[in-house]
Amino acid sequence: MPQAKLLVSKISKRFGTLLALDRIDLSVADGQFTAFVGPSGCGKTTFLRIVAGLEQASDGEVRIDGQIIDRPSSDRGFVFQSDNLLPWRTVLANARLGHELSGTTSRNERERTLALLKLVGLAGVESRYPAQLSGGMRQRVNLARALAIDPKLLLMDEPFSALDAQTREIMQTELLRIWEQGRKTVLFVTHQIDEAIFLADQVVVFARHPGRIKEIIDIDLPRPRALPVKRTPAFARYVDHIWSLIEHDVRESALTT
Amino acid sequence: MFVFITHRRIVQLLSIVGGFLLWEGLSRFVVGNGLFLAAPSQIAREIVKLTISGRLGHDVAVSALEFAVGFAISSVLGIALGFVMASNETAKEASEPWVQAFNATPTVALAPLFILWAGIGIWSKVMMVVIVVIFTIAINTEAGIRMTSPRLIETFRSFGATRAQIFLKLSLPSALPFILAGLKLGVGRGLIGVVVAELFGARAGLGNLISESAANFDMAGLFAGVVVLAAAGVGLTAVFRWLEHHIVPWHGD
Repeated sequence: MPQAKLLVSKISKRFGTLLALDRIDLSVADGQFTAFVGPSGCGKTTFLRIVAGLEQASDGEVRIDGQIIDRPSSDRGFVFQSDNLLPWRTVLANARLGHELSGTTSRNERERTLALLKLVGLAGVESRYPAQLSGGMRQRVNLARALAIDPKLLLMDEPFSALDAQTREIMQTELLRIWEQGRKTVLFVTHQIDEAIFLADQVVVFARHPGRIKEIIDIDLPRPRALPVKRTPAFARYVDHIWSLIEHDVRESALTT
Repeated sequence: MFVFITHRRIVQLLSIVGGFLLWEGLSRFVVGNGLFLAAPSQIAREIVKLTISGRLGHDVAVSALEFAVGFAISSVLGIALGFVMASNETAKEASEPWVQAFNATPTVALAPLFILWAGIGIWSKVMMVVIVVIFTIAINTEAGIRMTSPRLIETFRSFGATRAQIFLKLSLPSALPFILAGLKLGVGRGLIGVVVAELFGARAGLGNLISESAANFDMAGLFAGVVVLAAAGVGLTAVFRWLEHHIVPWHGD
């Protein structure tokens, strides 16, 4: 068995008396696309932030390629829910931020970042400012910025949730197209079951009170995938199964919040 | 949009013209005494006269120099002070009571003291400008740096940015609109500082022109100084608005 790219063992996180995450174990292979779904308050975003190093676990450890991680570093690229672009920088200057911060800018790197912007569908707008772009395009910049540092792990926190339904579906196919080019190891948090199934090799279903893994489901749908796969019976069975796992929690949280 | 702006402009223009007509009428027919109020037409004639004699040009040059030197010093020191206050908790706690107190105090009242210290030349006025402007700029700079979006800070952290990098590449540019707003506020305060200090003792300058005219009951001369000051204030504020529009185009609008 090959060594896991990401190995999470017994991660717990307490906020005061609240147990947000309870002994999470997870192994992700190199090049695997893993999606995380669950009701709000199940700790899936907290889990992702711990892997990013933006938050410290109360217990347990996270290893990437065998190395324990405890802080953010350029071996992980984080794609935030809101695009978090610097309004005074052009698209290209925003995308180069990671290299600038780690002191690895070069003419070569600039060429690679330009090629990357082209890959994510931003050719021709490199010198525009974020305010001149649509929400979907800003998220492409957000993605390009994380990919530009060529991370071992790409961490995505509900990146398409602020987009309208049509743009979101386009961005899902775009993400798969981009991912097929490099097959990075991706951790993708979402609250949309169909988005998780469509994108991922495995879907990790979280439960809440305390936050824990309820089930890990391997998605056995052929790649490359296109939107029509969402209308196949196999896809519908995955949706039904995952929905049945989280339905109780979701109904409960809908009543209490 | 175009129609709307044009409409706004017309209202503004009518208001200005109407105001001047009212002023002219009041001073000619209601007050009717040049000792109490000068009419706009008399002020305009006085401005032309003072310009031809060279007096106005010299006074403007002296006041402008005092203002420029004082404003430059307070910009540099005020921005630096704001940075220190935003980046060091101890420095903030230690300086905040003083900065707030000085900012709220009508420090123009200290003008006689500065004249005693530095004489009636330009340096007493420079000191006055610095003391009335520097704290406004410092407070705005500090607020701007503290308002840096937590989401953007987190983005920088996710790339492993150091504190110095967050400060230089994030806090500084995002504070720029606030710094410019502080400078804009400082313009009005600085002009007041120059004039008040000149009123208390000067050989030249617009404040000197005003106080001499007042001593001679020359209302046209007094108003000539005030009008030139008003124009300077409006003009400088417009310059900063233009700068805002060009340096921080992502902000506002």
